[in-house]
Amino acid sequence: MLAYVLRRLGYGCFVVLGVLFFLFALFFLVTTPDDIAQRALGEKAMPQVVERWKENHGYNRPLWPGPGHATDNLLVDHFQKMLTFEFGNSDADGVPIRQRISEGVLPSLLLTVPMFVIGIGFGIGISLFVAFFRETYIDRLGVFVSVLTMSIPLLLYIIGGQFLLGKMLRWFPVSGFDLHPGVLARFLALPVLVGVLSSLGSDVRFFRTVFIEEIFKDYVRTARAKGAGEMRVMTGHVLRNAMIPVVTNVVMAIPFLFTGSLLLEAGFGIPGLGSLTVEAIQANDFSTLRAMVFLGSLLFIFGQILTDIAYTWVDPRIRLE
Amino acid sequence: MRAAATVIGVVLALGCSNNPYPDQDDDRKVLYLPFSEPPKTLDPALAYSTADHAITGKVYDTLLEYHYLKRPYELVGGLARSVPEPTSLPDGGVEYRFELRPDLWFQNDPCFALASASKRRIVADDFVFELRRLADPALASPVVDPFSALRGFAEFGARLKARRDTDLEFRKLRIDQQYERAGGFSGAHSDGPSTLVITLDRPYPQVLYWFAMNFSSPMPWEAVAHYDGKEGRPQLSEHPVSSGPFMVGHYEKRARIVLDANPDWYGARHPEWHAPGATFPSTDGVVDLSAAEKERLDASQGLRLPALARIEYRREEESIPAFNKFLQGYYDMSAVVRESFNRVIQEGGLSEDMKKQGMQLEKSVVPAVYYIGFNMDDAVVGRQAGEKSKLLRQAMSLAIDSTEYLRLFSNGRGLPAHSPLPPGLFGYDPAYQNPYRSVDLKKAAELLARAGYPGGIDSATGRALRLSFDVPDTSPEGRLRFLFWTNQWRRLGIDVQLSATNYNKFQGKVRDGAYQIFQWGWVADYPDPENFLFLLTTPMARSVSQGPNTANFKNPAYDRLFEQMKTLENGPERRALLDEMRGILEDERPWIELFYPEDYALVQGWLKNVRPVGLSIPTAKYYDIDPAQRRTRRSSWNEPVLAPAFALVALLVLLLVPAVRTFMRERQ
Repeated sequence: MLAYVLRRLGYGCFVVLGVLFFLFALFFLVTTPDDIAQRALGEKAMPQVVERWKENHGYNRPLWPGPGHATDNLLVDHFQKMLTFEFGNSDADGVPIRQRISEGVLPSLLLTVPMFVIGIGFGIGISLFVAFFRETYIDRLGVFVSVLTMSIPLLLYIIGGQFLLGKMLRWFPVSGFDLHPGVLARFLALPVLVGVLSSLGSDVRFFRTVFIEEIFKDYVRTARAKGAGEMRVMTGHVLRNAMIPVVTNVVMAIPFLFTGSLLLEAGFGIPGLGSLTVEAIQANDFSTLRAMVFLGSLLFIFGQILTDIAYTWVDPRIRLE
Repeated sequence: MRAAATVIGVVLALGCSNNPYPDQDDDRKVLYLPFSEPPKTLDPALAYSTADHAITGKVYDTLLEYHYLKRPYELVGGLARSVPEPTSLPDGGVEYRFELRPDLWFQNDPCFALASASKRRIVADDFVFELRRLADPALASPVVDPFSALRGFAEFGARLKARRDTDLEFRKLRIDQQYERAGGFSGAHSDGPSTLVITLDRPYPQVLYWFAMNFSSPMPWEAVAHYDGKEGRPQLSEHPVSSGPFMVGHYEKRARIVLDANPDWYGARHPEWHAPGATFPSTDGVVDLSAAEKERLDASQGLRLPALARIEYRREEESIPAFNKFLQGYYDMSAVVRESFNRVIQEGGLSEDMKKQGMQLEKSVVPAVYYIGFNMDDAVVGRQAGEKSKLLRQAMSLAIDSTEYLRLFSNGRGLPAHSPLPPGLFGYDPAYQNPYRSVDLKKAAELLARAGYPGGIDSATGRALRLSFDVPDTSPEGRLRFLFWTNQWRRLGIDVQLSATNYNKFQGKVRDGAYQIFQWGWVADYPDPENFLFLLTTPMARSVSQGPNTANFKNPAYDRLFEQMKTLENGPERRALLDEMRGILEDERPWIELFYPEDYALVQGWLKNVRPVGLSIPTAKYYDIDPAQRRTRRSSWNEPVLAPAFALVALLVLLLVPAVRTFMRERQ
């Protein structure tokens, strides 16, 4: 397995280099340093101020290596910053990007981890329940509600949640975030609830299909014939044997818990990495944006390797070679 | 089932209150405000955006400030005792001597350990140091241009750069030592600890306004040397050292910013001075107050400032949640969001609902102007086409209906503009009617025909006149707004195509001069006509200096009048020059003046002493709060409605019980 993992990591390195080159093309060839400077300084900035800004931020250097500037150019600088995880300073406010990222990880995790755990727990629980009552009105109602909730965009959940639960019923603050222990749970309750509800439909529908497929297999009939109770059949046999598709779905999501949720964080004003990305897009803060895109691609590669390893854990018959 | 009920119970128990603040703050004079955009920097030499200024304006004090109540705006002493008079120098220069108030202090800060102290007095050299920072090329301050009027300013910047480029040892010196070794500049020096002397190469009366802004606030060298972002220390842009009425207590700019009252501010230490900005001013001499407003404001006269103990800013990226929290009493002030406008405002005033809740509406016209500009370097709409293009611009101006635009897109918030100068500025004449700024399609058609485009057809080619309107907004809403203008011209038969690109591409077009018609706006830096009319001078043209004259208007007579006008004191002579300049713009039409925007601010009944200002002026130190009234109203407005939660649980039980009963029966 070690050889497999090393090989996958090797492939991953090539993908990362490709991503870095693509990012460079996207951020430096499409947008000029003058555009970046003008956005950072505002409309009233005079030309000499724009020039100074470019000089101070190193954007006045040539794009490609060439005679006299083999290392002192934007391409080398870009690869150096990304591969050393130094990232440099934000184009928008000059603050080190690493500092911004480390500040954003905790709020993101405070939102995504409970959302993930509760979502998976409820998703599996409800789908087992629905599968258990297959072909009854509970099953049909479960599928109907799942399809219904899947069809509603996340933005509507956010606005509706804020309006109904925050404004009309006054159960939770409409939006905001504060690490103060007296109010943190209040701020997280609504976004977590909205996050769970918005993803529950697709999870339930997917898990239900997987479970129902398993229920009709021979080993389940055998288990029942041997006198195993329904609860034991569902949790001890069906759930265990349906783990491969479930794990694929779940493990791929784990790395992205760190990058937060773009819409939920922006909608509820949670200062995590998701809203950091949205802000970087809005402010044309390319240095922050390329760092976030780069981290996202790394986490994606990591998630894929992690999923492969998880297969061997849930199904000992699988060997990675 | 039981699990679901338990989860609902736990969630409700943990979070079942919509109060976003810890309860212990209920009895304190804390002002709660939302902010949508985090400040980019709190370094006063760099902070230029409204978001930056919301914080720096309260934290850094200035030599001069605006009288809180008087309109038109009037400068008064701040950290300086009074507004200095200019002294003409034999070489044509001008000198201003700012006398500082005694006993001025920076806040307590660890940076002063560099000078073996915990805090220290503010002296004239702290202003000199900050002005030298503005000239420092490494800083790229956005206000290099106006401060270049200070004698030796630009030369100092060049000297500093040259020394840094050639001398490694010089670069290692502490920042204040670098400035000293580079020789400073004679335009800013101290004459003892309490006198700052400013010398200009040429008369520039507007320079005083720049001393009412934070760019020239006192800066201790210790703060710049200490807060360098190294070894775990924050950067100066995130850690200001206060000289003003508030100081930063907590700075988490993507979520929460807290400003505490600064006990070392001169107003807090010396209320007996009764300086206009240190105690609440008298309404004497304030002419535009109603009797009720006067009575309300007079009740606070002499109040020791700042009246607030703290200001809590909470980040709200979206306007609707922020407005909902305002309606729940969790913010003390709010803008009116478009989605709720008709509910909140009726017939230009507050709706009955809002009045019942004790809210107040404060309106103010922003000293800003929005306009459609013509690129005067363009072959069709610009000066090359001579009289023909002038008639075309006049005709196009006559077709534009700003009042209708404001009604459709801004709920009527704004005044139609007839000249570049907005209300509140010297030179603005409410009676003035620009003959080309009232809709007159008949006259427009005549002018168009005289221009050689009868019915919008170019008589030389027989083809329809086709123009391009370049806009930096590709959103559907933006498109609707801009289409409104093009449809107005369509009524004359002119085919104006919308060329909507993103901001970067638009900037590129402007840089390359590849545009015909555009829409832009300008917000005043300070309340002087010079700050608007310079936008149409030749030296500021994009094609000359990449300056803000995007219309590339170049008119020698206008330039000459501007040069005369800008150095004059407000008076009849200046007024006559302004009228003459307005006449040139009226005839030449490089701009179609659209509107002056109007701000509507909603204020909770428990917030006192609010007077709208329009300009970006720090006013929070004048505000006062009645916390008892706020607590009572908040609790009555925010009783949670729990019945639906129990109804939901009951519904789930009803749905599941038959299935479970069937299952149990089958098992038996």
